[in-house]
Amino acid sequence: MHAGHYISGAGHIGLIGWLLLGGVFQSEPLPFEMTEVSVITGAEFEAMLAAQQAPETPTEVAQPAAPDVAPDAPEIAATPDQVIEQPKPIQTETPPADPAPEVTEQVALPPEAEVIDTPPELDQPSGDVAVIIPELAPRSVPRPVERVAPKPVALPAPEATPDPDTQEAVTPEPAAEAPPEEPQEATAPEEATTEIVTEATQAPKASPRPPGRRPAAPKPQVAAAKPEPESGSSEDDDAAAIAAAVAAAQTPAETPKPATPSGPPLTAGEKEDLRVAVSSCWNVGSLSTAALQTTVVVSVEMAQNGKPLVGSIRMEGSSGGTAASAKQAFEAARRAIIRCGAKGYDLPANKYGQWQSIEMTFNPEKMRVK
Amino acid sequence: MSVRFTLKCLAAAVAIFGFQAGAAMAQQGPLRIEITEGVIEPLPFAVPSFQPESAEAGQMANDLARVVSDDLTGTGLFREIPASAFISTVSDFNAPVQYADWKAINAQALVTGAVNVQGNNLTVKFRLYDVFSGAELGSGLQFSGTTDGWRRMAHKVADAVYSRITGEGGYFDSRVVYVSETGPKDARKKRLAVMDYDGANVQYLTDSGSIVLAPRFSPTGDRVLYTSYETGFPRIYVLDVGSVQRRVLESADGTMSFAPRFSPSGQTVVFSISQGGNTDIYSMDIASGQSVRLTNTPAIETAPSYSPDGGRVVFESDRSGTQQLYIMPATGGEATRISFGEGRYGTPVWSPRGDLIAFTKQNKGRFHIGVMRTDGSEERLLTASFLDEGPTWAPNGRVLMFARETQGASGSSTLYSVDVSGRNLRPVRTPEGGSDPSWSPLQK
Repeated sequence: MHAGHYISGAGHIGLIGWLLLGGVFQSEPLPFEMTEVSVITGAEFEAMLAAQQAPETPTEVAQPAAPDVAPDAPEIAATPDQVIEQPKPIQTETPPADPAPEVTEQVALPPEAEVIDTPPELDQPSGDVAVIIPELAPRSVPRPVERVAPKPVALPAPEATPDPDTQEAVTPEPAAEAPPEEPQEATAPEEATTEIVTEATQAPKASPRPPGRRPAAPKPQVAAAKPEPESGSSEDDDAAAIAAAVAAAQTPAETPKPATPSGPPLTAGEKEDLRVAVSSCWNVGSLSTAALQTTVVVSVEMAQNGKPLVGSIRMEGSSGGTAASAKQAFEAARRAIIRCGAKGYDLPANKYGQWQSIEMTFNPEKMRVK
Repeated sequence: MSVRFTLKCLAAAVAIFGFQAGAAMAQQGPLRIEITEGVIEPLPFAVPSFQPESAEAGQMANDLARVVSDDLTGTGLFREIPASAFISTVSDFNAPVQYADWKAINAQALVTGAVNVQGNNLTVKFRLYDVFSGAELGSGLQFSGTTDGWRRMAHKVADAVYSRITGEGGYFDSRVVYVSETGPKDARKKRLAVMDYDGANVQYLTDSGSIVLAPRFSPTGDRVLYTSYETGFPRIYVLDVGSVQRRVLESADGTMSFAPRFSPSGQTVVFSISQGGNTDIYSMDIASGQSVRLTNTPAIETAPSYSPDGGRVVFESDRSGTQQLYIMPATGGEATRISFGEGRYGTPVWSPRGDLIAFTKQNKGRFHIGVMRTDGSEERLLTASFLDEGPTWAPNGRVLMFARETQGASGSSTLYSVDVSGRNLRPVRTPEGGSDPSWSPLQK
């Protein structure tokens, strides 16, 4: 039980003994330097001090020779002032300036009396087509006529419609747009050609589908459908309600209103393409610094071929400048719209309703001189 | 019952979905886009030879059109379309413009003109067209004068074209007074000269018998202030450009007066007087000769320039230890330091528009022409060379002219112009070297 104490005591005793007897606390003596000295007498010390004192006899140092002072130095400094000659009067040697040429400015060009500006639209129809846009010259394209059958517009039989209820709701709109069939049947044989021109090759790539184009003959079904609501069945009421709801939901998108865009909206990429196209022609290099401080909002109506209608371009508003600077900024913006739209902007034709009217804000903040 | 309920729910869902989809698809109003980045490039224009309306006007018609084109091209804002690219020509001043022909060569502006010479009388008329808009830009103008002034009439036509397109005033019908220099640097002869803004029609106002410095046009362009060393000391003279008559501005004996400049009214001159090793700024009423001391410090203060409204003066001073720019009231008083960049600033000149101050800057062994706002902000350095100095503003505040000196004993000084944007740096052709230019206002 006390084995621990014994072991600890023995250990401590051993450690203490090792410290005392092992020479741990012994150290080497510090190194020291030894200097040899010599003993001298007092007389020798006095003699040594006397030898270290400065010599009392001054050594002769050659003094610098005194500079030779020129007695007339100040006069030399003043000489330039005396040498300067008074210039001759200038008027005697100066050629007389030419009198300013007489130029009188006047607004002497009456707007109509001497110079008659024909409106551009009236003067250049042939030139425009011949020089600028030869592609627009009328081409002799064969008309799409059916080669095979003189009776191309045979309507599907009314019996083919499987669901009379559904047709009942949509019949009123296409009913008025049923194409006349008889005249086409009479003229088809005369215009038949050997070349097949189908609608697929003739039609625009992305033109919107006519809304009223339905194959079914509407009129007979309308006549047959009208009496049916009188039956008052619940299923018919529900179907009518559904059809009415669908029609109500589709009405805003299908109604062509000039002020309300229709069709699917332009994607961000399509808008960016238009923005980049206009930017590439927006030249602000010739604008005044005041015009470069002016933001203008410009509206433009577009034709279906993507070309801006020049006459429709107008300034809707401006900010940051005077009326004069806004006018300059607007003219630069108008030039940009017209120049880059000369061949038509690359806009999706099936979304014409979305870009028929465009409002562009020209903000030159990034174009200013920093 | 359940079938009817289901159908009604379906109908309601279709109605709601359809309405929301339709609402989402239908944007409110027109398509809106914002254009924030354009291009900065010269505007292409065409100037067919003006139509001579008299037998004597043939050569002058060509010369007039040439000067108009050179004026516009020299701004760097316009690019001339060579005549070889024209599809059609203008054979009649009153004939309708074939816009398509000019569109085809991308001429965005078209200038047509006609010239009539009857004896010594000259008549010039012109029209400007916006080709892509298919309309005339402004109305036609006609100028009448003498045949001696045909270049001025061409400049006036160019000024009108420039103003209508850019929206700011022109500067072609203006003159520049400068110091014409000949000979090596250590024996350079200087004399006052005046020329058209483009270096044409140089006329000398003094001989080279004495050193002349820093000519400055009056606001009306009929007088010139300059400094001459005729008497061995710098003195300020007032020279009438038309008669070449001059007189010295009164100053006390033993003083040196220099760096003069007219006030916007033309009735007062602000200048520096150096006396007893100190240089301060004074103003003097030209009519009465009464002087007013505007600064009173032991520093060197010089190169004063009035603001366009005459209410303030910008000048250079080393009162802070280095040469910097300060602004003080035109009647004197407390000055405000506006330059704080590295280097030394000098020769400040207030823009005619009042929005900028041009200056010479020396930094790290290079000289620059720069501009800054009147509060010292937006400092921009437009040039850099061995030695650029002494800027002067064009009347419209769009262009600066200055002197550039080349290095070496045989180096010469040449006049240069640069757009305030830093573009279109180009030399001004003069018969001899030139320095210290001062631009006149537009001529009447």
